[in-house]
Amino acid sequence: MKSNKFYKLLVAMLLVLTLALVACGSDDEGDAEGTDDTSKSEENGEDDGEDTEEPVDKGEEILSQFQYDPSNTGEPIEGGHLTFGLVDDDPFEGTLNFNFYSGAPDAEVLNWFDESLLSVDGDFLYDQEGAATWEHDDSGKVFTLTIRDEVNWHDGEPVTAEDWEFAHEVIGHEDYTGPRFDETLRNVEGIEEYNKGEADDISGIEVIDDKTLEITYKEATPSLLAGGIWSYALPKHIFGDMEVADMDSSDEVRKNPIGIGPYKVETIVPGESVTYTKNEDYWRGEPALDEVTLKVIATSSVSQAISTGEVDIVNDFPADQYPDNEDLSNVEFLAAYDNYFSYLGFKLGEWDFDEGHVVENRDTPLQDKALRQAMAMAIDGDIIGEQFYHGLRWEANSIIDPGHRLYHDPTWEGYEYDPDAAIALLEEAGYERGDDDFFTDLDGNEMSFNFIAQAGGEVAEPLAELQIQMWEAIGVNVELYNDKLYQFNDFYDRVGNGDEEDDPNVDIFGGAWSTGSDVDPSGLYGKNVRFNFARWDNEESQDLLQAALSEEAFDLDFRKEAYKDWHDLMVEEVPVFPLNFGLEIVPVNKRVVGYSLDPDSDLFRYDIGVTEEEPQVD
Amino acid sequence: MWKFTIRRMLIVIPQIILLSVLVFVLAKMMPGDALTGQLDPDASQESIDNIREKLGWNDPWYQQYGNWVVDLSKGDLGQSFTYKMPVTELIGQRLKNTVWLSLFSVILIYVISVPLGIISGRYNDSILDHAITGYTYLGFATPLFIFALVMLWVFGYHFGWFPTSGSVAPGMEPGSLEYVMSRFKHLLLPSISLALIGVVGTVQYLRSEIIDTKQKDFITTARAKGASESRVYNRHILRNSLLPIAAFFGYEVVNLISGTIFVEMIYGYPGMGQLFLEVIQLRDYSVVTSLVLLYGIAAVVGTLLSDITLSIVDPRIRIK
Repeated sequence: MKSNKFYKLLVAMLLVLTLALVACGSDDEGDAEGTDDTSKSEENGEDDGEDTEEPVDKGEEILSQFQYDPSNTGEPIEGGHLTFGLVDDDPFEGTLNFNFYSGAPDAEVLNWFDESLLSVDGDFLYDQEGAATWEHDDSGKVFTLTIRDEVNWHDGEPVTAEDWEFAHEVIGHEDYTGPRFDETLRNVEGIEEYNKGEADDISGIEVIDDKTLEITYKEATPSLLAGGIWSYALPKHIFGDMEVADMDSSDEVRKNPIGIGPYKVETIVPGESVTYTKNEDYWRGEPALDEVTLKVIATSSVSQAISTGEVDIVNDFPADQYPDNEDLSNVEFLAAYDNYFSYLGFKLGEWDFDEGHVVENRDTPLQDKALRQAMAMAIDGDIIGEQFYHGLRWEANSIIDPGHRLYHDPTWEGYEYDPDAAIALLEEAGYERGDDDFFTDLDGNEMSFNFIAQAGGEVAEPLAELQIQMWEAIGVNVELYNDKLYQFNDFYDRVGNGDEEDDPNVDIFGGAWSTGSDVDPSGLYGKNVRFNFARWDNEESQDLLQAALSEEAFDLDFRKEAYKDWHDLMVEEVPVFPLNFGLEIVPVNKRVVGYSLDPDSDLFRYDIGVTEEEPQVD
Repeated sequence: MWKFTIRRMLIVIPQIILLSVLVFVLAKMMPGDALTGQLDPDASQESIDNIREKLGWNDPWYQQYGNWVVDLSKGDLGQSFTYKMPVTELIGQRLKNTVWLSLFSVILIYVISVPLGIISGRYNDSILDHAITGYTYLGFATPLFIFALVMLWVFGYHFGWFPTSGSVAPGMEPGSLEYVMSRFKHLLLPSISLALIGVVGTVQYLRSEIIDTKQKDFITTARAKGASESRVYNRHILRNSLLPIAAFFGYEVVNLISGTIFVEMIYGYPGMGQLFLEVIQLRDYSVVTSLVLLYGIAAVVGTLLSDITLSIVDPRIRIK
């Protein structure tokens, strides 16, 4: 029981940290605004020319068992009060400003009272529905951003272009310790010089007038339109006189946070709960609720909290609790594609700390791609999804996840589960079985691999065992590294995100990523990135990923083609292979309206309302 | 007496220094640091390296330890990497909750255990005594974290009598009566869980102490002098039996400290114990080391307290 509790904590941790990725890319989850030019994205076929028979899309089939929107379509009542459950085994950190926060739980708290100035559509591309509108010049490098006149801070002061510029200046400041000064912001012209103290201001940012800002970027890439603009302002009239180093711990961030969102913070019990009241002055219009209460709910208490009506919605529902709760009479389970994929990867090289890039130099039988291909064929992602995730996950065909509808294509071929073909492939490649019936390497020596797996949840261990058995079934000897699962930090320390070298004994690793708003995977598979845990160095991949970010790639078909080619290359080379896609599941009390998981929904957070005074109870 | 106390206190100093070195080295030996878990492909390696360098995480451990001790002597426990606030402030926030929880539990423990122990000792071998000792055996055998979970399920969820997480209901005005009551209500179930398991030791001590004292010659003398039964128990037996219990107060506090870690986790009660487990996961070193040190000091001081009281109560200990 003790260890059980401990695992739950780990799961939560995992969630926090993986979710942080999403939070980094685009913070407008859930309420993203949709436009109609996206509907065409579901189909394709012209690319690969095989339009004979529409194969069943497993993901779509699973998703179709759920709805995006609550069935309740009543009118919200006046003066409603909603309780939002933030599922987390730990208190939220309380850095309540988009410019400084780092944890995903804080983002959940923030989303109720602050929002991005730019809104995104169902494909995570900026549209014109946000508090500011945008346009770019022909070069695609110069963006003119115009803040709407009616957008005010909670204290009544208007949001100005200077506030927006100020946010850039703070994040780019050398004393800034938050995590936001990332590749995206470094793309602003002159910000590096400003960061190093060589310039007094950022040359690429110009305030045209009170409401208009012009930002010049170093490179024009399609990523700019998918979360590539820093879209949160920082009120200069409040933070203007503060030292940058003191900002994130100031009362204006922790105790009396300010934003532009539909609700204002009323009280905060640090780490536990927040109450909000309606922001009558909200620029989109009057929010539907009078009050919102956010409280932290431990993972082990979620199902109780939703069945008793203690909370109306939660931000995240643990999939393993779903089967026991799906019949609750007072809530409805909604679902959408999770921006997520899990994967298994092969360690092919190491990280060169001096040069800052991967070196594919490992002396291992895994260098033979036939072996990697066979091992990918040996794993049955659908069985894993059914056995361990109650059918809410399924075999992934690609690293481009279904949440990115413009690019994901269910017809792309990945590795179907086919152990016989895997064995045939190995035999064809010249592998022979040794005395113990396992394949030996090409020189006839015994061959076995260390598989490092992450602890987390009750399924982690049987899952790792099953994967090992699946490899055993094709005659490849894989052992659980040191016969144990590794706790989150330890795992990534060994796999390759530590401050020292990767663990040289790790051959195979399994992990998962939450994907951000931009589909670009070069942050995970590029040559110069630490997160290329496989340490895979491939020029063609570099070229394709670069092409997909070039100016040419503003043409959607071009970009899609590039990703298709890259996908084919990944299937051929298999430095890593995708394992599962999944669904995000949200239980919603039946009195809630105006809420939607539909990426194309035109509902915003201020639309969320309730149709009854009290929550329904099971 | 004073000699003993001073000598005992002097031993504490190297204990704490040793503890701090151990704590620091062990914390640094944990795989990964606070940045290992930040898996954000957008974050540039350069800025991560910069942060590591700026925060001195690349320095050798003795140098880091030195800096830490120097800061510590100024009362500065450093900055929490995850919470972005001074560790002293962060711990201060949580300490308050834990202190209330512990204090209330201690009170409950004595309120429950003293009468039980007296009854059990006075009427030993009666059915009542058997029931009470039965309970204490059961209590010894039940792990706190299981018991707390059961209590949470029964009284928190099944009957719904108590809140199931947090330290106060959302939206209360701090300082108002409503606020205080809400805090009290949130405190009740965790501390009852702690107390019901925590009492067993004290009940048994007290019981055997009383049974022991009952057979002493001076009790027979008191009875022979014609003292009433209640006078014998209240004046003679109880007074003598309670002394060791008082002396164990310090150890009781030490026990509570480890107990609160479980209970806070289970009840989602934001105290130091919950913080402790969290920052270990996140490798927020500055908080981890400060907390371990704090726990360590509490334990050392707790035993010190017990030893001193014991020496006051029992002069034999002083002579060595």
